[in-house]
Amino acid sequence: MKKKIDLTQLLRSKVTWAIVAEILVLLVCLIARPDFFSLKIQEDTGMLYGNIIDILNRSSEITIIAMGMTLVIALGGTDLSVGALVAVSGAIALKFMRWDVAEYITPGDYSVKPYALALLVPLGVCTLMGLFNGFLIAKGGMQPIIATLILMVCGRGIAQITTDGRQFTTKFTPFYRIANSSFLAIPMPIIITAVVILLMWLFVRKTAFGTFVEAVGINRNASRLSGINAQMVIFIVFAITGLLSGVSGLIYSSRIMSNDSNNAGLNFEMDAILAVVIGGTSMTGGKFSLVGTAIGSIIIRTIVTLVYYFGIASEATMAFKAMIIAVVIVLQSEPVSNYLSKRARNRAKLATGGVK
Amino acid sequence: MENNTNSRWQRLVKKLTNPKYIMVYATVGILLLIYLFGSIAYGNLASDPKSNKGFNTVRTITTLFVDNAYLGISAVGMTFVLITGGIDLSVAAVASLTGMFIAYGTTELGINPWICIAFSLFVGVGLGLLMGWVIHYLNVPPFITTLTGMFLARGVCSLISAKSITISNDVIDALAGWKVYLYHLKDGEWVKIKPTAYINFNIILFLVVLLVGIYLLQRTKFGRNVYAIGGNEQSAKLMGLPVGKTKVLVYGFNGLCSVLAGIAFTLYVKSGWNLSLQGGELDVITCAVIGGTLLTGGVGYILGTFFGVVLKALIPSLITFQGTLNSWWGKIATGLLLLLFIFIQKVVVSSSDANRKKNSQTAEKRIT
Repeated sequence: MKKKIDLTQLLRSKVTWAIVAEILVLLVCLIARPDFFSLKIQEDTGMLYGNIIDILNRSSEITIIAMGMTLVIALGGTDLSVGALVAVSGAIALKFMRWDVAEYITPGDYSVKPYALALLVPLGVCTLMGLFNGFLIAKGGMQPIIATLILMVCGRGIAQITTDGRQFTTKFTPFYRIANSSFLAIPMPIIITAVVILLMWLFVRKTAFGTFVEAVGINRNASRLSGINAQMVIFIVFAITGLLSGVSGLIYSSRIMSNDSNNAGLNFEMDAILAVVIGGTSMTGGKFSLVGTAIGSIIIRTIVTLVYYFGIASEATMAFKAMIIAVVIVLQSEPVSNYLSKRARNRAKLATGGVK
Repeated sequence: MENNTNSRWQRLVKKLTNPKYIMVYATVGILLLIYLFGSIAYGNLASDPKSNKGFNTVRTITTLFVDNAYLGISAVGMTFVLITGGIDLSVAAVASLTGMFIAYGTTELGINPWICIAFSLFVGVGLGLLMGWVIHYLNVPPFITTLTGMFLARGVCSLISAKSITISNDVIDALAGWKVYLYHLKDGEWVKIKPTAYINFNIILFLVVLLVGIYLLQRTKFGRNVYAIGGNEQSAKLMGLPVGKTKVLVYGFNGLCSVLAGIAFTLYVKSGWNLSLQGGELDVITCAVIGGTLLTGGVGYILGTFFGVVLKALIPSLITFQGTLNSWWGKIATGLLLLLFIFIQKVVVSSSDANRKKNSQTAEKRIT
């Protein structure tokens, strides 16, 4: 009896559907290529190599942003500016590391100072931009979607102006290592992502902050009346999202060792929001799941990898993304999940002879 | 008799000074300010005053419309969606898909362009209706539903062709090339305005969509329902209004506008490209917001959106005339403009809320 009730709860849980979807996509991968799960160690770099690692590695930018986005959506908002912030972060970092600034890139003898600046200034600026979003929303009382639309429109312009519309490249080794080195054979972006997820989890679940976010997301006035500083919660959440966008931007620009104000982080906001929603956090705010979001982000990347495997043009991945996401969202939607859990409950009743 | 006309005037003045139009007036005011700035600063760039090489020409205005007709067409549909309190992120992708259908169909497959256009209309309106259905009956947030629609349309674009296809078709060429030059009376003779200014098919399409939009929103039951849903969906439902049907139709109408915008854009660039108009959906939303539409729903006018489009189009035009500024400043200026308008909206909304509260308080007092 108890097991059956668990089943209905599982069917209602949106994270379950996300995991089921991921397993299904992986199964398709396995059927398409039996060697899909094989792992090798690259001899020259000592890095683990394989599709699973690649999926985790390439999904890290979106996963990191989606961690912040989860909190934003749990507040009942959306942050459209993250993609633009990725571009800003990359542009500022590369501004400090232009490879034509010769004195900093002498092999083996680089000054630490510009490197620290190249990492800290972009993160600081992105956090400030996040705070700006938070200010418009918490103090200005604007809708998040509109408030963040401003930086989404402006952000790429700011990134372009930072670098005078030029594309810088760098050969700075420590920067290269952010995305292209490994620790214990695991690529660095995966480690960074794991650390971010862990820190975020500790922050929201081991302090009361996560509960505050859920309370503000469910009813801002009620949470204010029960003594939560809703404005402060909004400020912190948007600042975190800005900071994480900056981290993601550093990884992105370290991968290409260059800044690309036009294409860096393009559609990241959309992917991050999708990851959050697939992961089971409702757009109306309230309860959220960081683990679900991470799974959502991995699902998106798995679909992309799968489509590459079938040799379809990379731009067309969007169509497949859309189809799988449509299935997940329809399964998660209220009427359908209610119907499914009702059926499961009925079956449980039948199994016990309808006695309750 | 005199009294009658007097009261008619009073009624008109009262109607025009209705605070609900204040956002539209703000848009028009800032539009005029920016235009004035443009005409003073870059009114005549050449040293010869007769050369007509500057901002103060009819050509500036017609070019504004020629370059942005597709944006305007899409913004009309978007205004409907925003007034219901929804959002549609798929518009640019659907417009791009229309371009791909027309380009691939006519140039690669040799199909009659009218069939391609009909097929695009079928797909675009169908997708819109489907999204509306999912939003209302499956209760999926509009943002997510239309985002999926956007991914789907973009993906299909790329499945058709990942390369840009230049259109070579007589009908499309004829439609794209059709233009009416503007004439003016000079020394008792009709001569072409110099520098030449013309009206093309896209401008006419834009104006037709605009008028249809105004008629639907202001003069039909459908339009009333749209406002009612945006004001308060629950109340609209309790009043017995066809909420579901209206919402589905609104997304269907927006799909139609997206396809028409796609046709206009295709005629404008005469090619189809799977990545064209990327990010265009937010340009369209920006136009509507600048034009005074509230994203919370219930407030907005097609005419406001029209001025929003013109205002948004004016900025890149001014930066071109300025000549030395990087085009990226256009983005920043648009962002700042958005910020300004949101602040104005905020002030207007909170003051009208305060008014309402005051009114209801006095009403309560009267009752007691």
